[in-house]
Amino acid sequence: MGEVRDPLRYFRVEARELVDQISAGVLDLDQQHGPDLVARLLRFAHTLKGAARVVRQQEIAEHAHAFEELLVPHRTEPGPLAADEMRELLRLNDEMAQRVDALTPAPEPAATPSEPVPLVPEELEKPPERAATADLDDLLDAIGETNARIAPLRESGGTLARLNRDVDRLADGLRSGRLAAADAACRTAVQRVAGDLGALGRRFTDAVDQIERELDEVRGRAEGLRLVPAGTIFTALHRAVRDAADAEGKRVRFTGTGGDVRMGPHLLNQVSGAFLHVVRNAVVHGIEPEPHRLAAGKPAEGTITVEVVRRGRWASFRCVDDGRGFDLAALRRAAQSRGLLPPGVAEPEPQELIDLVLGGGISTSPAVTDVAGRGIGMDVVRDVAVQLHGDVHLRSTPGRGATVELVVPLTLLSMNGLIVEAGGMVATVPLDAVRRCVRLTAEETAGALATGRLAHEGRVVPFLALSRTLALGPAVPEDGGAGVAVVLTADDDTVAVGVDRLSGTTTLVARPLPDLAPAAAVIGSVAIDVEGNPRLVLDPHGLIAECRRDQATTGAAPEKPAPPLPVLVVDDSLTTRMLERSILESAGYEVDLAASAEEGLEKAAARAYGLFLTDIDMPGKDGFAFVTETRADPATGHVPAILVSSRASAEDRQRGAAAGAAAYVVKGEFNQEELLAHIRRLILR
Amino acid sequence: MTDVKSRIDQLRGEFDFSFTEPARSHDVEHVELLAIRAGGRPYAIRLSQTSGLHPDRPVTALPGPLPSLLGLAGFAGTAVPIYDLAALLGHPVSERPRWLVLATGRPPLGLAFHELDGHVRVDAAAIVGEQDGGQGPVRGMVALPGGTRPIIDVPAARAAVHTLTGHDHGTEHGADEETRP
Repeated sequence: MGEVRDPLRYFRVEARELVDQISAGVLDLDQQHGPDLVARLLRFAHTLKGAARVVRQQEIAEHAHAFEELLVPHRTEPGPLAADEMRELLRLNDEMAQRVDALTPAPEPAATPSEPVPLVPEELEKPPERAATADLDDLLDAIGETNARIAPLRESGGTLARLNRDVDRLADGLRSGRLAAADAACRTAVQRVAGDLGALGRRFTDAVDQIERELDEVRGRAEGLRLVPAGTIFTALHRAVRDAADAEGKRVRFTGTGGDVRMGPHLLNQVSGAFLHVVRNAVVHGIEPEPHRLAAGKPAEGTITVEVVRRGRWASFRCVDDGRGFDLAALRRAAQSRGLLPPGVAEPEPQELIDLVLGGGISTSPAVTDVAGRGIGMDVVRDVAVQLHGDVHLRSTPGRGATVELVVPLTLLSMNGLIVEAGGMVATVPLDAVRRCVRLTAEETAGALATGRLAHEGRVVPFLALSRTLALGPAVPEDGGAGVAVVLTADDDTVAVGVDRLSGTTTLVARPLPDLAPAAAVIGSVAIDVEGNPRLVLDPHGLIAECRRDQATTGAAPEKPAPPLPVLVVDDSLTTRMLERSILESAGYEVDLAASAEEGLEKAAARAYGLFLTDIDMPGKDGFAFVTETRADPATGHVPAILVSSRASAEDRQRGAAAGAAAYVVKGEFNQEELLAHIRRLILR
Repeated sequence: MTDVKSRIDQLRGEFDFSFTEPARSHDVEHVELLAIRAGGRPYAIRLSQTSGLHPDRPVTALPGPLPSLLGLAGFAGTAVPIYDLAALLGHPVSERPRWLVLATGRPPLGLAFHELDGHVRVDAAAIVGEQDGGQGPVRGMVALPGGTRPIIDVPAARAAVHTLTGHDHGTEHGADEETRP
């Protein structure tokens, strides 16, 4: 019925996806010509044309057709497209995008915001980006795995019915006198029922445990869908750079990094709107005309990089250009003419002048152009920073380039937390920073407290007693009270935090601390528990910083050995991959995953690994083949491989050894400690 | 029985008499006050400057630089910072206060005190103002049975907290028509 009422329902989704791919592809093509890219664009345009014809969207089909016509000759030509051809491609791309946008029914007009937002471009009004298909696929995979775990429960239901019948028969026999309790037959029957019940109980427990794990995975992935990868704003920024460069007659290359960092779509939209100005400014004010660049010994093509980094509860967006930097002389003149620098006052520092730009109204551009000028861009960035409770930093090196950095708090951060108790206080540690928890003997605790160090996995890590750090006022508890060491990693640093006990894990939504509540740096945010009471969330970065401060007062930091290289896990079962990953990551290893031996071989060739962990039975090539092939390759032959399989026979172990596996772990006897011991012994650094 | 009868007569008389009085406005002529104790000393707070009174609310301690900040309490899913009134008034901090009031205005703020003596309504004339607004959060005095009490002005207490925390986004008062009696 839905299709009849709204024939465009599926087309809108497909067309939006295709247009997004075309938009990104055209910009890639602009930077780097390649026949593969042309072929891909042709495929997208062709698919769009076909789909548009089916739903009678003639205009979209015609534009897609024109787009194809333009590209077809370049399928075989190696050279880049002429500038006017490129412009035409972009124009057609825009036409298609506009028409696809127009198909979306207008949403209810939103209430006017109470604070007028000056000069905010319409980009801010764009709806949140849709979740990527790959994320949905992952979620569906996880749901599928959970479903698969229900089957054993159903089978167990059958077994239970059979047992029920057996017990009934036995009871009948006893009642009718056919069987006597003392009979051997009766005893055997009872023993068999008891044995079957025991086995059934174990199966139930296993199945429930697995379902629980899978559901946790499902929840995590579903939550992830609410957040959007930062990379979704790169296409719009790239296009803005391209258009500004075209208008200015400059050549500028755009790169985006950190596109995988995920955050709320609303925040991302606001940042995107502000950064459109930032990148345009960088093209117009920063990047010099080609002859100037060449004269200064720079490449003719300018570079603008947008970097996204998440630091704990903060996201940093940085636009770096390799242009001329801020024109300090022009800034000084502009500031003086606006009365911001009264004459006769001591010469301001360069950074002071640069910071004046943030005040707004100052532009170093000699003329107001279509794309930049009047210092409006910086006003927008500053406004967005204020709205999001963030900060803007400007840096400039004359002749080398400028950096605009916007740091904003991620207001809502859904996370799994480890609940710890220390000195009578309950706090939560973000689970993704926790590498391991180690129970300490009284002796070890005393030693760690005295030296501020703890031996962990063959290295010495700094140790911090949480009760001392959290102690209110000057009253430090006599006894540090550490019974468990929680090993945390953040900023590539590792620290062991001593707590009294662990009291479970929890899912929580962390919010920034409220206004009027200054707190110690180790406290990152606050969450409200089920009873409505605030619970403190510790900040791993703050803990590391606190530890460094502690170390600075008690002695030099311990020496750090080289970190181990990442581990590649090859297994066709999603559950096993995730289980092994969580075990390895908890132990502090970086993990890559491959779902088949073929994918594993591809990944092994692309990156230096410290260890391979592979299943044996997989569709396509099996684990033995994976081990044999990696042994035969001089690039990967030295990387130890461990086989993990449900096959337990001596013959299989021999085959594994013959193939060159360094260890063999049986899944049924799967023992986390045994596996980690092998890995610690074998992994390359 | 006679006790009850005389009580009923008295109540009835008061009720009938009330109609003979001219209509009066509470807001203009009377002030609602909470008689409290903070750090062992008696004070009064204007009810109109608060938005809720709560006993025994769990407060999660928040380690940090300010000894007067007791911690955070949860109100409708929001964590509200709670300050110890006694500490803000400069009294030595003894045991943890049992009561707290939410201050009007933004950002959310709670003020904690040790004891609640009662809720009283006094004639506006019973309140003695101070010429220059007084020092710290105290503004004026009120004569109550049992003695004269200094009045803690909630917006002034809020301003003190804003100063302590370097919060410079401006103080937005709620009902502040009574801040300068």
